[in-house]
Amino acid sequence: MSPTDHIARVPLSFLLPGVQARVEDIDEAVSPTQREQLVAYGLAPNRPLVVLQQRPMTIVMIDEVELALECSVARHVWVKRR
Amino acid sequence: MQSASAIALVGNPNVGKSVLFHRLTGAYVNVSNYPGTTVEVARAPARFDAAVDLVDTPGVLTLPARSDDERATMRALLYEPLQAVIQVGDAKNLRRTLTLTALLAELGIPAVLALNMHDEASARGVTVDAQALSEALAIPVVPTVATGGEGIAQLTRSLADARTLQPLLHYDGTAESALAEMAARIADLAPHPLLTARGLAILYLGQDSEVEAWLKEATGDAYTELASARDSAHAQGVTPAALAHERGEAAGTLATRVTKRTAQASPLLAHRVGQWIIHRVWAWPILLGVLFAVYEFVGVFGAGTLVALMENDLFGNVLNPVVTQFAHKYISVPWLADLLVGQYGLWTMGMTYALALILPIVTTFFIAFGLLEDSGYFARLSVLANRLFKLIGLNGRAVLPMVLGLGCVTMATLTTRILHSPRERLITIFLMALAIPCSAQLGVVLGLLGGISFSALLVWVVSMVAVLMLAGFLAAKLIPGRRIPLVTEMPPIRLPLMGNVAKKTVGRLKWYLIEVIPLFLLGTLIMFLLDRFGALPAIIRAGEPLVSGWLGLPPEASAAFVMGFLRRDFGATGLFAMSHQLSPIQAVVGMVTITLFVPCIASVMMIIKEQGMKVTAAMLALIIPFAFLIGGILNHLLRAVWGAGA
Repeated sequence: MSPTDHIARVPLSFLLPGVQARVEDIDEAVSPTQREQLVAYGLAPNRPLVVLQQRPMTIVMIDEVELALECSVARHVWVKRR
Repeated sequence: MQSASAIALVGNPNVGKSVLFHRLTGAYVNVSNYPGTTVEVARAPARFDAAVDLVDTPGVLTLPARSDDERATMRALLYEPLQAVIQVGDAKNLRRTLTLTALLAELGIPAVLALNMHDEASARGVTVDAQALSEALAIPVVPTVATGGEGIAQLTRSLADARTLQPLLHYDGTAESALAEMAARIADLAPHPLLTARGLAILYLGQDSEVEAWLKEATGDAYTELASARDSAHAQGVTPAALAHERGEAAGTLATRVTKRTAQASPLLAHRVGQWIIHRVWAWPILLGVLFAVYEFVGVFGAGTLVALMENDLFGNVLNPVVTQFAHKYISVPWLADLLVGQYGLWTMGMTYALALILPIVTTFFIAFGLLEDSGYFARLSVLANRLFKLIGLNGRAVLPMVLGLGCVTMATLTTRILHSPRERLITIFLMALAIPCSAQLGVVLGLLGGISFSALLVWVVSMVAVLMLAGFLAAKLIPGRRIPLVTEMPPIRLPLMGNVAKKTVGRLKWYLIEVIPLFLLGTLIMFLLDRFGALPAIIRAGEPLVSGWLGLPPEASAAFVMGFLRRDFGATGLFAMSHQLSPIQAVVGMVTITLFVPCIASVMMIIKEQGMKVTAAMLALIIPFAFLIGGILNHLLRAVWGAGA
């Protein structure tokens, strides 16, 4: 992994509304069942998303799915800006 | 009676399975715009072949099953005599649809795919090449719009061509060999009459608890062999997540191949409205507007105008005098006439309460409720309520059963199956049994307190929310387990279909009246007998220290609490009927106490069904004294603030 790769990886909860990103990873702090759910909802590695809002929860659009995540989950979803 | 052959409707949550079920059977099951409307399997003979049962299953986000409603679907796949499945998929969300298809392919059940809501997909610029998809899966793929009946005839015809799906993927080498080994063991020890051993192996390695239970039952002592094979597969990295990831990838690849997307010039209006509803600023005025509209429709129009029309004009001036005259003229036994039209008469109390007071209120409530449900608003409430619910150890998802509880706590208790942990379910069921009034009770409260003053109503609302939060906070501290953070999908905002709202309202009213009228009549009979044999005055005297001393209510209010044991709203209606004797403080204290009082018999039965006898008994043992404790504290507090004369 190059240093720029490292810098580009940010938690989903850090992105401003309107920003497009690609999912990198969901870290182990999220329970396995919830990780499974996230993947089922479409929040899986390599998938593109758009951040719609961050308050009161993180809301993202993946394809045609609007997904709401609590900050405690969104900060463990690592993404790269597109 | 169950048919020898069945076809199951399976699919992700909120894709229109229940609408399709209605189209294919004529039987109506509740249909709404939020995931988790169906929590139990429904069954009815198919219109196209009465010998075949159609089985509507709860939506599955993930299979292997993780929640109670997903387990119900898995049980249908394991135990129903299925000749085929109709997978219902959301055309605008093909990746998720095909992730489930990938698993159904492994299970080897003949299938057809109904690509539903393709009108919504088109509106978003998404087109699916159904022909190419059908060729790739080797099964019929039929675009449908179930709400409008589009594609239904073609779907019915295509069932004759239902066949086993083409597998969507090969797992990686290690996974494939673990699966092959497990499948061989299952085929040897416990072949399933319908499902393939490989499909069961995938679900078992994915830790599906229903498949595990079935295998335990079918293999007996030999089960340990399977369990140790699973442990070693997991140790080699063949985990549920790894298998699910591969299915998702394969589904994604196929979905991309057959889907065309055209960029939209501007977001849809529905999409923008959906965002305003959960906007950090606009959400709150919208919420207040919705509450105000519901209050005007249910509280003012339903509980005020319609109840006055029914109670005074129809029952008071027309029906009751006629029935009373008839009874006195033709029934020569005085006590029998009294039983029908006396103070505690089956007609003058039981039927009048049920039809003149409750019916207009619940009708307006169910109409308002149906409109909000179908619009997609309720699902968004979970985002708004999440922060508040965090304080009581829950997440915003619990707002759905609680809001449904405002319609009917009994039905809502069943809906807690959409919650993901037993702890969340227990806390939610307890809080609903304690502090969520059902529509009938809510209407009576609005009618009584709204008639006194807005501040009386406000004291009641604040008291109920405070009790809910306090009890929830304590329950979350006392019940062990971790809170699960909220992750939820927002269903699209839709214009409610009046036909569906009307059907739903009629269905709910039927259910409600079937439950209410016998209980109201039974309650009236008990009151009549207690009065007749002189027990009611004794109860009123015995309850005096508590009812008059502690709660500060007139002694006759004891009768309302006796009635409340049958149904809280029956008790509340009893208080409503004696409202002319109550001061504003007494009315508020009485309503707060009776709202917190024991839930109705039907809810208690449902809680027993869902949580067992012990938990239910513990809940009731907590709730009854707690209701009187809070009522008394409120009485003393209000008297201290406003003085005894208020």
